[in-house]
Amino acid sequence: MKIEGCNNADEVQEKDAVSLCSLFAGEETFGIDTRKIREVLGESGFERVPMSPEFIAGVVPYRGEVLTAVNLRALLGMEASSGACCVLVIEDDEAAERFGLVVDSVGGVVTVSRRALETNPCTLGARGKWLFDGAYKMDGGLMVRLNPQRLCPSRLSETGLFRKSANGGTDASPDRR
Amino acid sequence: MDELTKEFLAESQEGLDRMERCLTDLETRPGDAGLLGEIFRAVHTIKGTTGFLGFDRLEKLAHAGEHLLGSLRDGRLVVTSDLISGLLRLMDGLRAILALIEETGGEGTRSGDEDGELIAELALLNGEMPPEDIDPNLLHAVVDVGETVAIVPAAEDASKISGMSSPPASAAGNSERSAAGNDKTLRIDVDILNRMMNLVGELVLTRNQMLQSDRAAANFPELARRLDSVTADLRETVMQARMQPVGNLFGKFPRMVRDLARTCSRDVRLEYTGQETGLDKSLLEAIKDPLTHAVRNAVDHGIEAPADRVLAGKPAQGCVRLRAFHQAGSVVIEVADDGTGIATERVLAKAIERNLINAEQAAGMSERETLQLIFLPGFSTAAAVTTVSGRGVGMDVVRANVEKVGGSVEVESRRGEGTTLRLRVPLTLAIVPSLVVRSGGQSFALPQSALVELVDIPQREYARVVQQIGSAELYRLRDRLLPMVWLDRLLDLGTNHAEPSHGHYMAVLEADGCRYGLVVDDLMSPEEIVVKPLSPVLREIGLFSGATVLGNGTLALILDIGATAARAGVKPIEEENTETGVGKAAIPEAASESFLIYEDRARERAALPLNMVERIESVALERIEYVGGRPLLQYRGELLALKDQGNVLPELEAAREQGSEAQATVLICGGSGFGHERRVGIVVRQVLDVSAGTLIERNAGGEEQLELALVKEKLTLIRREFDVSPKTAWQEVA
Repeated sequence: MKIEGCNNADEVQEKDAVSLCSLFAGEETFGIDTRKIREVLGESGFERVPMSPEFIAGVVPYRGEVLTAVNLRALLGMEASSGACCVLVIEDDEAAERFGLVVDSVGGVVTVSRRALETNPCTLGARGKWLFDGAYKMDGGLMVRLNPQRLCPSRLSETGLFRKSANGGTDASPDRR
Repeated sequence: MDELTKEFLAESQEGLDRMERCLTDLETRPGDAGLLGEIFRAVHTIKGTTGFLGFDRLEKLAHAGEHLLGSLRDGRLVVTSDLISGLLRLMDGLRAILALIEETGGEGTRSGDEDGELIAELALLNGEMPPEDIDPNLLHAVVDVGETVAIVPAAEDASKISGMSSPPASAAGNSERSAAGNDKTLRIDVDILNRMMNLVGELVLTRNQMLQSDRAAANFPELARRLDSVTADLRETVMQARMQPVGNLFGKFPRMVRDLARTCSRDVRLEYTGQETGLDKSLLEAIKDPLTHAVRNAVDHGIEAPADRVLAGKPAQGCVRLRAFHQAGSVVIEVADDGTGIATERVLAKAIERNLINAEQAAGMSERETLQLIFLPGFSTAAAVTTVSGRGVGMDVVRANVEKVGGSVEVESRRGEGTTLRLRVPLTLAIVPSLVVRSGGQSFALPQSALVELVDIPQREYARVVQQIGSAELYRLRDRLLPMVWLDRLLDLGTNHAEPSHGHYMAVLEADGCRYGLVVDDLMSPEEIVVKPLSPVLREIGLFSGATVLGNGTLALILDIGATAARAGVKPIEEENTETGVGKAAIPEAASESFLIYEDRARERAALPLNMVERIESVALERIEYVGGRPLLQYRGELLALKDQGNVLPELEAAREQGSEAQATVLICGGSGFGHERRVGIVVRQVLDVSAGTLIERNAGGEEQLELALVKEKLTLIRREFDVSPKTAWQEVA
């Protein structure tokens, strides 16, 4: 795994530093706090679950457990990808639950300053507000910070925001293009 | 907390559990010295050990109890209802302190005053004056307590009952806590532990050998086999260690029933059988609440008030029966009461009122379907339902809890005669034998317990065997129409109809009284799967009971057979409509059994109860030898006397002389396992069928006991007795 953004670690002061794992879905870059990530499974196979909500990618075997995997693309209202994908195992301390997150690919660990975090724009749709914690201004553009707790499958189904993605769900996309 | 204290806690809990059982027994058998001794020992042990460990508060209370029990044992007191109540409260008090020790490590002094009260009450029961040093206010309280106890059995005043209702509640809380303590420890037979250790040793050895030999080595398959057998043995041993007798659970009920019967002024007797039936510990925990609920319902709503019972011509004392037994790979626990039963028309009326069904549906409902209504979530919420229907509070919760562990709940009710609730749970949660099938490019596991048979439908025969009514497809299986459910269509799997040529497979499944054929693309191997739970989101779909990792490393979802039937709209079969069901359902078990039907005398049908037949052997005629005119067969190192009632052997002998190949068909019957000393061989012309039949006549006269039965609507002679010739006659030959 290539380590990005380590060169600007010196500029970032220790106490402000947050290390994020960068991941990609479609054209966009996202970040998740590395402390919440148990493991990156890489291109591991997952089994689809028939009749499950759209945002559920399927189930993944992980160390003797069967985890439910959430599909980030489906959450963002994107078309299902045909290419390779990557599964991350995320731990939700509060619910003591582990679940998988399916993304297109995983970049690396990025250390950024907390101060570079911009809050969500007020024009953001309800789904986006649920999923995102804000965005970091990076050199190459924005890195949207995901809220790992809210990605938990049971919470996603509780909100009811993602029940039907018949309307396309484009409002979740951070910057409409 | 040090080891000693922990051990003391576990031991004391066990002692108190024993005491609880004995106390309720003592009430029915007041003179039993053995019971008293047991109770005395439990309290005495606690007292002895606490003094040693330095728990003064516990010691004082235990001492007071011991004192009272001592007088009881010496015959200075007689067992009364009040006395039992007092002792039960003593037990609750001891439990509370034990729980406090477990929680905090110390016995605390928070509720010290209560102890004083309790001790004084015990002293009062012992016929002594309370000790001088207790302050007068307390004394007053003591007298109060004494009064309440004295009044309750006599008067059924509502206010008094409400006063009484609190002790059971606190008792429930205590027993829950103590159960939590028992969760952490488990007593295991040292033999089992040793066996486990041996097996683990063997596992390590096999691993070492496997590491040293490479995959291509000649002995690799053998090693793999050994690994397989060691794993299987180890698994079985661990399962065995986890098995707990159901009696552990039943033991809690006498107290509960007693308290409950007092509160709702019923006269109830609790009977239980099969308490030695083993069940996995985790399952035992899982069914604890549903079972408690069921028993509570039976006492509260099932059994009528004594006066009503007498009016109805029943004994004043109601009876709740708990029964546990094994049946076809699962454990069945029955809660039966001899109360009013469920009024089906009231259930229907209520269901219509709550908009669960409409009047039209109600009219078409069978009794069985109606009873199922009480499990509907909406049905249970109203308190009013309970008074009219007899049952209903939280039945949906009972069902949900049992189904969560892969079990099922049935209810049976007869007006005026009582209600039986049947909880059916699998022996173990962890490992389920199942068949892996593929449909729409995905693997699914079907539990073997629900699988009846497999049918191959080749493409060319498809049109012949599959028939349609409207859009519904039916398969004609032995002249019964079976609804077909297409798994890929039901689950909305994107199927490719690219290769329709290879045909289909159909698994005939049965669950919740529904029977249907599940059509899949392909059958894979039967596999013992390890069940992994699914997350709540996926559980909500309701079609899958779990997931598993298959031998090839891929995942498969475990299909919930009953839920799949419900989703596909398959209704439970009405037993009256089915051909073979008539015999099974309508006639009580005793009269209907399975028979092996054969022909012995020409054109005569005879049958043997199926469970008596061990094997059917085809024997070359040369192997049959004769001693003193009696045909004998050497069979697996044993001499079998052959019975030839139809004179089949001479006929075969004649056929052989004419040069044709002669084989005699012999039914191997009896054996020590069936209550017979020796096995017997019965020579028959041909074996016809296995079927359920009904006895129509029993004729004890004549030289042989003759019974006639209707099997498949044909007259059949049932043979039970084989007049085995005296052993000495042919034993000397061997």
